[in-house]
Amino acid sequence: MLGWFLQKRKMGKDEVPLITRRTTRSSSATAISTKNNVVESTTSTNICSPSPIDLLYGGEPIDLDVLLSNFPGRHPQIRELLQILGPLNAPMLPVFVYGGPSTGKTGILLQLFRHLNRPFVYSSCRTCYSPRILFESVLNQLSYHQKNSTNGYSSVKRCEKPSDFVNFLREALVGIVKSLKENRRKSKSSKKLERSIDGNMVYLIFDKLELVKDWDKSSTILPLLFNLDSMLNIPEVGLIFISSTPPDTFYSSMGYIEPIPLYFPTYNEDDLRQILVRNQANPKLYSSFLDVVLRPFCRITRRLDELSAVFSPLFIEYCKPLNDLAIVPNEDLKRKLFSNLQPHISLFLNETFRVLSQSSLGAERTKDGEPRGSKSKVGTCEDSDELDFHMSTSAKYLLISAFLASRNPATLDASFFDSRGGSADGRKRRRKPSEMAKGQKEAEEQELLSKGPGSFPLERLLAIFQCITSVAEDSLGEEVQEEDSLEVEGQNNPLMSDVLLQLSTLCNANFIVKGGTCPLEGSTRYRSVVSEDLALKVAKSVKFPLAKYVYRR
Amino acid sequence: MKMAASAPSRVEPSSDQENGDNSLQIQQPFFLLHKAAPDKSDRKPSRRRITSSPPSPNKPGAAKSVDDDYSGDHSHEHLRMEAFQHAWSDVEATIEGVLRSIDSGTFEAIYSWISESFSIIRTHVSSGFSEISRSFPAAVESVSRRLFTGLVLTKNMELFDDLRTFEELGRFLRSHGCHVANLSSLDFLAKNGIGGCITSLLRQFLAASVDAPDMLTLSSWYNDQVNNDTPIILIIDDLERCCGSVLSDFILLLSEWVMKIPVVLIIGVATTPDRLRSIIQSEALQCLCPFKFNLGTLAERMDAVVEAILVKQCPGFFISHKVAVFMRNHFANHGGTMSSFIRALKIACVQHFSMEPFSFVLRGLIEEDIQRSKQGLLPKAIYNCASNISPCDRNKMDEEAVQKLVPEIIQLKRLHFLWSIVVLCLYEAGKYDKLHLLDLLCEALDPEVYASRVPGSFTQETRHTKASSPNDCFTHQHNFTMRKGGFISRAMRKVRDLAESHLLSLLKKWERHTADISEIHEKVKELQHMLKFEDCQQLKKDSMEIAKIHGLQSKSNLGRVTKRVNDKAASFLAYLIEKYMQPIECVPFHEIVCFKNVKKLQMALVGDSRRRIQVDLLESHKILSCSCCRNNNILLPSMHDTSIMYSSCQEHGDLVNLHDWYHSFKRILLFPNSKRRHKLKQSPLSKKQKFTDDSEKLSEVAIQSRFCRGVTELQIAGLLRMQSKRRPDFVQRVAFGL
Amino acid sequence: MVNRNAAEKALNLIRSRLCNPNFIFRPLCDSPDSNYSKLKFIVSSSVTEACNNSVLLLGPRGTGKVAVLELVLEDLLLEYPDMITLSGGVVFQIRLNGLLHSDDNSALKEIARQLCVEHQLVFSKMASFDDNSEFMIAMLRECGLAHKTVVFVLDEFDLFTQGKQRLLYALLDAMQSVTSQAVFIGVSCRLDADQLLEKRVKSRFSHRKLLFLPPSEEEIYRLLDHVLSLPVDSNLPHDYAMEFNAKLHSMFSDERFRQIIDSFMNFSPTVRHLVKFLFRAVSDMDLKLSNLSFENFKSAISSLQRQPKMECLRDCSILELYILVCMKRLEVKEQNSYSFSAVMKEYKSIHDSFQTSDYYSQDVCLRAFEHILQRGLVCFADGRGRIQSTEFRPVKLLISFAELSQGLKAHHLCPAILQKLAA
Repeated sequence: MLGWFLQKRKMGKDEVPLITRRTTRSSSATAISTKNNVVESTTSTNICSPSPIDLLYGGEPIDLDVLLSNFPGRHPQIRELLQILGPLNAPMLPVFVYGGPSTGKTGILLQLFRHLNRPFVYSSCRTCYSPRILFESVLNQLSYHQKNSTNGYSSVKRCEKPSDFVNFLREALVGIVKSLKENRRKSKSSKKLERSIDGNMVYLIFDKLELVKDWDKSSTILPLLFNLDSMLNIPEVGLIFISSTPPDTFYSSMGYIEPIPLYFPTYNEDDLRQILVRNQANPKLYSSFLDVVLRPFCRITRRLDELSAVFSPLFIEYCKPLNDLAIVPNEDLKRKLFSNLQPHISLFLNETFRVLSQSSLGAERTKDGEPRGSKSKVGTCEDSDELDFHMSTSAKYLLISAFLASRNPATLDASFFDSRGGSADGRKRRRKPSEMAKGQKEAEEQELLSKGPGSFPLERLLAIFQCITSVAEDSLGEEVQEEDSLEVEGQNNPLMSDVLLQLSTLCNANFIVKGGTCPLEGSTRYRSVVSEDLALKVAKSVKFPLAKYVYRR
Repeated sequence: MKMAASAPSRVEPSSDQENGDNSLQIQQPFFLLHKAAPDKSDRKPSRRRITSSPPSPNKPGAAKSVDDDYSGDHSHEHLRMEAFQHAWSDVEATIEGVLRSIDSGTFEAIYSWISESFSIIRTHVSSGFSEISRSFPAAVESVSRRLFTGLVLTKNMELFDDLRTFEELGRFLRSHGCHVANLSSLDFLAKNGIGGCITSLLRQFLAASVDAPDMLTLSSWYNDQVNNDTPIILIIDDLERCCGSVLSDFILLLSEWVMKIPVVLIIGVATTPDRLRSIIQSEALQCLCPFKFNLGTLAERMDAVVEAILVKQCPGFFISHKVAVFMRNHFANHGGTMSSFIRALKIACVQHFSMEPFSFVLRGLIEEDIQRSKQGLLPKAIYNCASNISPCDRNKMDEEAVQKLVPEIIQLKRLHFLWSIVVLCLYEAGKYDKLHLLDLLCEALDPEVYASRVPGSFTQETRHTKASSPNDCFTHQHNFTMRKGGFISRAMRKVRDLAESHLLSLLKKWERHTADISEIHEKVKELQHMLKFEDCQQLKKDSMEIAKIHGLQSKSNLGRVTKRVNDKAASFLAYLIEKYMQPIECVPFHEIVCFKNVKKLQMALVGDSRRRIQVDLLESHKILSCSCCRNNNILLPSMHDTSIMYSSCQEHGDLVNLHDWYHSFKRILLFPNSKRRHKLKQSPLSKKQKFTDDSEKLSEVAIQSRFCRGVTELQIAGLLRMQSKRRPDFVQRVAFGL
Repeated sequence: MVNRNAAEKALNLIRSRLCNPNFIFRPLCDSPDSNYSKLKFIVSSSVTEACNNSVLLLGPRGTGKVAVLELVLEDLLLEYPDMITLSGGVVFQIRLNGLLHSDDNSALKEIARQLCVEHQLVFSKMASFDDNSEFMIAMLRECGLAHKTVVFVLDEFDLFTQGKQRLLYALLDAMQSVTSQAVFIGVSCRLDADQLLEKRVKSRFSHRKLLFLPPSEEEIYRLLDHVLSLPVDSNLPHDYAMEFNAKLHSMFSDERFRQIIDSFMNFSPTVRHLVKFLFRAVSDMDLKLSNLSFENFKSAISSLQRQPKMECLRDCSILELYILVCMKRLEVKEQNSYSFSAVMKEYKSIHDSFQTSDYYSQDVCLRAFEHILQRGLVCFADGRGRIQSTEFRPVKLLISFAELSQGLKAHHLCPAILQKLAA
């Protein structure tokens, strides 16, 4: 190391011609593993014969009118984008395209580049879910590198730190711009018919930028991306960011020069109509269908993907009475169709997704579709009155007791369970005079409203469990006798034995959530997240009078 | 463990059943303390459920069969074992077959659905040029970006059985040429994020771990494949355990790529499809195009297995009524999984074979149906088996014993066969009432019910007389009216009010079941005819039919000639029940086949070890009934350290202050005579100077070391937990419910 | 047609000007008391007198700190043509960026790397922190001997002060001790950047600060003229350029135009914003009309002055508006923390009292709620990573009541009842 260092200062001083110095340097530095990156990267970019052409969209460039017709209701945005991207070889400032989900941001940009026939690099922050993968995917595309089995699915170079990324990126971009310029000169000189690239600009597109906010490195990555052009300052590089959230949500403490904002509003009803009708077999019929459904559904959501997902089965319902789908409906036919669509509409309005069952392909509702949502949760038992999955009895009781424990205030356990004298020794020390439960109530209500089901320690759960099971002894009479005949000293409850295993099972099935540990004693606290109707179902299945025990406000 | 078992049986020479396993369960906790529960009995499959270390089955059995000499025991130990292996192997085989047959239908359905959805995906893909290699998404509208998802409902909260099912599903799909990856909830942890599941995906497909795993790698891999005209199937075992955010991210990612990588998702849902909504965010839910499949429910599986094992195929051992009831209750209360039931069965099997003196004779019995033709061989086989039992047995069973054993065994087998046929018929009837076979079985096995049904003794029952006297009929009639609640009577009632078409099918099934027993078979035939002719009501033909079946009824109630076939069928069923359904416990020599010892089974299954440990620690003097520590409520230094410590920490709360605990322990060691109430009102400094003066009795160091050992033992036993660093001087009692 | 591609040429020219900060800031440099001349004096002094200097360039973003520095350096390179030394000029700069090299190791690595690149040495990644610092000091000494000035430019200077400041200490200490000629220039948009320094670093730092301010109005007009007016003597057709410039100046004198500029100055005064504004305006110049019109600037300023929250509200569906209003009502009731379930309760009570036409099941409402979560109109009040399901996590609004009511008014099909409820 010292020799290395001495050599350095020697070479600082005397002016030996470069070549010899490099040789000496390298000869002395054979131990140093990683060779000069500049050299290898430039070679890699130059060697790769598939020149920037495969940074183009591919396929035939489409005409602007086709583009406009493909995206109805987006003409102003497309024009604006065109202006910002500018004519050939026009440098640009970074752009920030934003707008709600499924408003055609990505699609329009890609098609626009297809139309302009300019090279670009696209990387979506969903596919590239971590900084490293984002960096490497950009570099891979810039150096025309394909992951495949021959190179062991490895990327062109390992790049984790932002500083490395910027260096590599600059090298790659410079290389590409150079090659672009020279093969423009070539194509100018010799008029070949092979596809040429328009302009010597390269565009970097970062899609789904809003996801970066959730990364743990977001505080460093976001400013990096936004300041990228001032760091690179290569005029031939254009930066385009696509996000579904407005720029102000990206505010960081250190601040940055915001890119030029470009806003894609959500489609309004007419646009939606145009889009939905666009490629239908029978536009007339479909538009009459849309007359019926579009307005009510737009009151719920105006997202294109959700609407189209809902409409596709609904349209099938709509067409059921028709025998030929090529028919052009007249007024009374429309009225008839509407009348038998009516019930389905209200049904579809209130459900977010539906599960098709394999036995009968007829779509069948999976959850409470009736408009009285939260009120008649109990009423949802009627569609499947009994529990449709198997639980062992003790698990059921444990579930019920967990539900009670997180629904009822701990101070009221005594008043609930004293009437029937369960062997609730575990609960006695926790018992408080029940007149202070009055004061408890409002706080309890607040607490329940704000942070949902309350949490409870294991001991309380077990106490309640014992009470419940001792209450419900009669319901499983013969079991008790059965297992009483075999003496187990201590308490005589057959259900009690493997309760911890059942608890773990419930935790696994995500009915009970293991909450944070209580600061006072180190024991973990649990919280039950079962919905009330499920709890009622379970109680019904073991004939347990749950309603008597639930603390109602 | 061997030592453990044998030692007590030496202590009390006349080791009958009670003391045998009593001493065992006494010994247990100390083994648990000293060597943390060595589970030697490797025959018992160590499932995820931690059973208390069971009594090693063979020893007490030996102690029972061969009283207090061990040579002969070892000599025919291996006979018992191989008898067990032989019996259990084919039991297992049948279980496998049954379960697979249950699932196969669903698997087929899933596969066909997969193939058609794959074709749909392919139609969506724009076949223009290869965007596949590119990083940007294909230009398609959002509908075709949806992800085909099969929700496989395993209607059981306990996941354990279904892991096997999903593995088999994966194997099945692979055999059909799909690329399959099994993901489990461990790949969807919040801390690994989405990287975790992609990593495991790539590990399963590429068979090599790549750094920086991403979907592009997967797509390029898929395009390299030779058969990339088959979909990629991702099977996620357990939805409920996955971290919701990660799962929804994963789904969104897949839906972005589904155009390039035709992925079909299969998610196992343990509870209900609604849970998807609570777990996955709505945006991800949007991308799914879900499709529901039902696996066979647990009840169906149970019925099928019970039918195959306990009713149809007699595996050389059988369970008594009590055992059956216990197994049913245990299944209902705790088990909740197929595997737990099978394990219970296996334990019963092991214990039976290792306890029962003649149990291994049964191998002869099992092969008997082959040798039925030449009757002579059976006794020889039995004798050969018997001859190498230790002499004490041989003098008990000599030639003629064997000779008179043979017909009994054959008879036993025949009776059991008849019984099983009747049970099957009942079960077929009960299916219309959604009865479970296990319940029916329990009732059918009940000797009391049988006794009440038939007041007479066994002997008159065992011989079969075609002509049954009218009072018999009366009895069984009013028997069934009497026992309303019973499952059998429910089945009968169902038969009475059954629709005609159902009845027809029922009779067909009966016909299938009763094919071997001719006399029942033809009656069923007649019933069918009757049903055919019922439309054209010829009364006399009808009545003479009745007369032909069992004249007694036509005699008894000649008034109601126009009796519907249902009633006939019902009464026929009743007749069958009375005639043939004889619980195995009412048959002589049933001990050879029938396993009756519920206690052992319970010990093995519902170990409830924690309580037992505590109890034994608290009153150890009862167990090792030694002379030194007699009086029970005072802690004496002669007692075992651990029990002293545990009982002395009883008066603390959940949190035990180590310092006080140590001092109370020390005091007990130093002053045997001091009662508990002293140490409560003693101040620490008074302790101090006390210990200083009588420290020559027992050195401080020794006490401390013993104390530490005790603490560690209690920790190993799982009764204590060291506190967090928040309170270093406290330990926490994690024992409760005593 | 000639006109058209002339216009295109002009457009490209202006755009490239706009994208090149050095060009932009040139006119602001000539005055003697400008930051430019001060900075140039500092650097050139260290070049001539072979001494060390250190200075901080402070000022809000987009006031051209880096650009001015660039100008200074390239001018110095022109002024002192390279006579003695090897590669590059007498001045060479080492650029660090707080975003990239905030931790000391990577920063020193980067310095070593740039030194190596500068002197055609082979850079070793293996070298440790100490090796690199030694190497740097040695190189500084060498450069001092070779009369080369090393300019350390630390962009995002405040980020360097976050850690142990080992790098800053190493640099400044080297400049104290070693006989070198180096200029240490920190660039930061935090005006209190020098307060962030540790004592040992601060003591070695000469407290020179250059403060960069947004341009005054007449400066802005100079910039406008400088950027937008076409060169008369170039490949552009002469008369076209003439008329273009004439139109431009007539527009500058226009009163409405001045209003626009004033309003622009009010909300974002810095040069960068001005550049953005001009870029926007120029980019939608009509090529057929072939010169900048007043409408261009008008549309540009409207497109730059956005109200994202308003847009989000305009995008909301009726149901989402309902949920927002319910949350607003809850907050008016001073419910300190409330969850989606509480919102559902409020929603239901509203429906019960007013019998609104849109009452939907909880799933649909939950979906709508997640939509407005994505839009960033609402956020969870607690930290992320809770196991709890969304409907029980406490939430809060991210828009003011005023914004909400304004948005409701703006929303084209917002039911009247909703505005009444929100009021």
